[in-house]
Amino acid sequence: MNYIVRRILQIIPVLFIISFIVFILVFIAGDPVALMLPDDATQEEIEQLRESLGLNEPFYAQYGNYVFSTVQGDFGESFRYGQDALSVVLERLPATFELAIAAIVIAIMIAIPFGVWSATKQNSSIDLIATGAAVVGKAMPNFWLGIMLILFFSVMLGVLPVSGRGSFAHLILPAVTLGTGIAAEMTRLIRSSMLEILNQDYIRTAKSKGIKSLQVIYKHAFRNALIPFVTITALQTSTLIGGALITETVFAWPGIGQLLIQAVNTRDMAIVQACVMVIAVIVILMNLLADIIYRILDPRIKLK
Amino acid sequence: MKRKRFWVINVLLIAIVLLGGCKDEESNGTNEVNEDNRTLTIALGTDMVSFDVHNHNNTSTEAIHINMFNYLVKRNNDTGEIEPDLAENYENVDDLTWEFKLKDGVTFHNGDALTSADVKYSLERVATDTTLLDHANYKTIKEVEVIDDTTFRIHTHEPDPALLNRISRIGSSILPATYIEENGFDHFLANPIGTGAFEFVEWARDDRIVLQAYADYFDGKNEEWDEIVFRIIPENSTRVSELLTGGVDMAVNIPPSDWVRVNENEGTYLAQGISNRTLMIFLRSTEGYPTRDKKVREALDLAIDNQAIVDNILGGAGTPTVTRVGPGDVGHAAHLYDTYNYNPERAKELLAEAGFKDGFEMTLHSPRGRYLQDAEIAEMVAGMFAEIGVTLNIEFMEWSNYLELRNAGENKDAYLLGLGNSMFDAANALDYYRADRFIGQLDYRNDEVEELLVAAEQNMDAEERNEQYIKIQELLAEDVAHLVLHQESINIGVVDRIDYTPTMDEMIYIDSITKK
Repeated sequence: MNYIVRRILQIIPVLFIISFIVFILVFIAGDPVALMLPDDATQEEIEQLRESLGLNEPFYAQYGNYVFSTVQGDFGESFRYGQDALSVVLERLPATFELAIAAIVIAIMIAIPFGVWSATKQNSSIDLIATGAAVVGKAMPNFWLGIMLILFFSVMLGVLPVSGRGSFAHLILPAVTLGTGIAAEMTRLIRSSMLEILNQDYIRTAKSKGIKSLQVIYKHAFRNALIPFVTITALQTSTLIGGALITETVFAWPGIGQLLIQAVNTRDMAIVQACVMVIAVIVILMNLLADIIYRILDPRIKLK
Repeated sequence: MKRKRFWVINVLLIAIVLLGGCKDEESNGTNEVNEDNRTLTIALGTDMVSFDVHNHNNTSTEAIHINMFNYLVKRNNDTGEIEPDLAENYENVDDLTWEFKLKDGVTFHNGDALTSADVKYSLERVATDTTLLDHANYKTIKEVEVIDDTTFRIHTHEPDPALLNRISRIGSSILPATYIEENGFDHFLANPIGTGAFEFVEWARDDRIVLQAYADYFDGKNEEWDEIVFRIIPENSTRVSELLTGGVDMAVNIPPSDWVRVNENEGTYLAQGISNRTLMIFLRSTEGYPTRDKKVREALDLAIDNQAIVDNILGGAGTPTVTRVGPGDVGHAAHLYDTYNYNPERAKELLAEAGFKDGFEMTLHSPRGRYLQDAEIAEMVAGMFAEIGVTLNIEFMEWSNYLELRNAGENKDAYLLGLGNSMFDAANALDYYRADRFIGQLDYRNDEVEELLVAAEQNMDAEERNEQYIKIQELLAEDVAHLVLHQESINIGVVDRIDYTPTMDEMIYIDSITKK
């Protein structure tokens, strides 16, 4: 229990460091004012707006103001939306979670059977096909895959909606697009860790005791192969929550990824900061969750 | 055997998920065209910025607002004339004063009647609050004096001949003063009400904005549509696919690569119109730059075959011009529009006269993807310059970096820029030629133009002002201050059951969208 509390408390300095880095990056990236005004705005208009938004103050003053408000839970107002940045970001979380979870579920559904199968049938034609498919799956850019899926399933066959969020049907194409690349990575990982475990003495012992092969594979070997798998699942889920930028844009999915990309384009500092903070907290919590799952999978692991 | 069973279960699971989706889709019916459908779905490329009508400065946001809020007067897109909207009538009392009378029976979406106090609140807000993005266009307004509930006067600091154009555009919508005072501005932003034909239902950011017809709209409830859904679809190919599959009824900004596809697809067509955005190459007249010499500027202008650009890169959709003031704008010089100068032989002679017999090298900064085919156009211009011996090095830049470079005056010989004119007044378009605006950036100066700009800016004699602006454009064309390429087109994909013609102001007026 102490371990978990300690891990949660570690979030505070981590967030502080992240906020500083992001603040510097956005500050260096430049001035949002010119982007907010028309293309033919005068220098005088730009100066006036910069002054009214407090952007003429020196770096330390701006950062000081920022830290002072942030510790009180106020991430500031979005330049673009004119609203509290944190609430704009939190509004997006459900859509992002929905897509991330669906993608992970699809990835797991593909990766576990294929990974296990190619390991048990090493170097067979099935193994070669699964390995080849994994390479292709990983190499396909999401952008291209998403558009191809839309063309095939929506435009040609007309069985799935093109884009947007709403019904379950809307979720399928973006989730498959995101899930394919992850499935490829997971398949490779499960295959290699299963191969390692299948050659261990205790598996041979189990087999020689006459235990059915499916039971040996899934009960004895697979459970032990799960630890690296949990790590990659936790990492991938965190990445999906923060980084499904391209897939969200292709499928007009209103998640955090799209919000972040627009905030960066318009240099909407408050939104960028709030997004990064929320994503950081999720990544840290996901890693903590992975640690706890290790403990459940392998009681020998101690959480210290 | 067991392995087989395991596989069967897995395949079945995936199939169930996919079929589940298909079934759901069928019940959704998004691909079916329903002739009685009273919902209009329009796909936009970017989300709305805010419901703060005075603080967004964004054409696609205003294209939505225009259906929820009203201006005092509106510009007729066919005739270019200013007509009453919320105002019943108006008169110019003296150089600094305009008197307006509001229409009777105008109500906000909560039922409150529109009064002069609402106008005072709205216009004085944008005229005095310097933090608002639309403030710069309204700072000529000094105050709004309420005479009675429906009569008021607008006083300006200086004579403002463009006032009517000013208050018929983005940033001049009338807000409900009492509603905002009672509930606060944040409440208004979350629950906006206006006087327009459609009222607010929902805004799910980066997903959709839903409006419904307002039953008590002063001009009568919209007869065609009960509900309007603006969907946000940033990716071009996705937006086009939605249109082709009937997922949306209209899709804006169809890229040229998809024009044929949209036109040839059964059930959709491409509605095209001319925008009032003009694509230009701005040249440096700074000491030490070859383009300081008028002969060089003229040679560069003569090297460009504007029509070839329009035909080859824009599929014929665009109009070559030598002035930025387009048709429909106050002060438009018709003889300088739909024309261009092209004579590469004469261009070579002029270069030789200017001392550049063997040509020279220059740099053009260009955004990529901001304007229709901007990068391709820049490359074609480089090819045309090469014909007369001028090497044009193009530096493509990300938009924000481009703006920063320009604002810091670090731009080199030239930059490519497309400028719109939501004011529909030459004053707005020609302000870009004022010498003191671009010291250290463009450094163009023409004293005669300066004098005329000052004289026209506050000239309340409409006819004389018009002539002054035409004269300015003639002087600029003769001097080849900058290179004017063409006016862009607006390209909207529409399903066959709907009749729609884009308007120059890039607004989407729902009342102009009808079923066939």
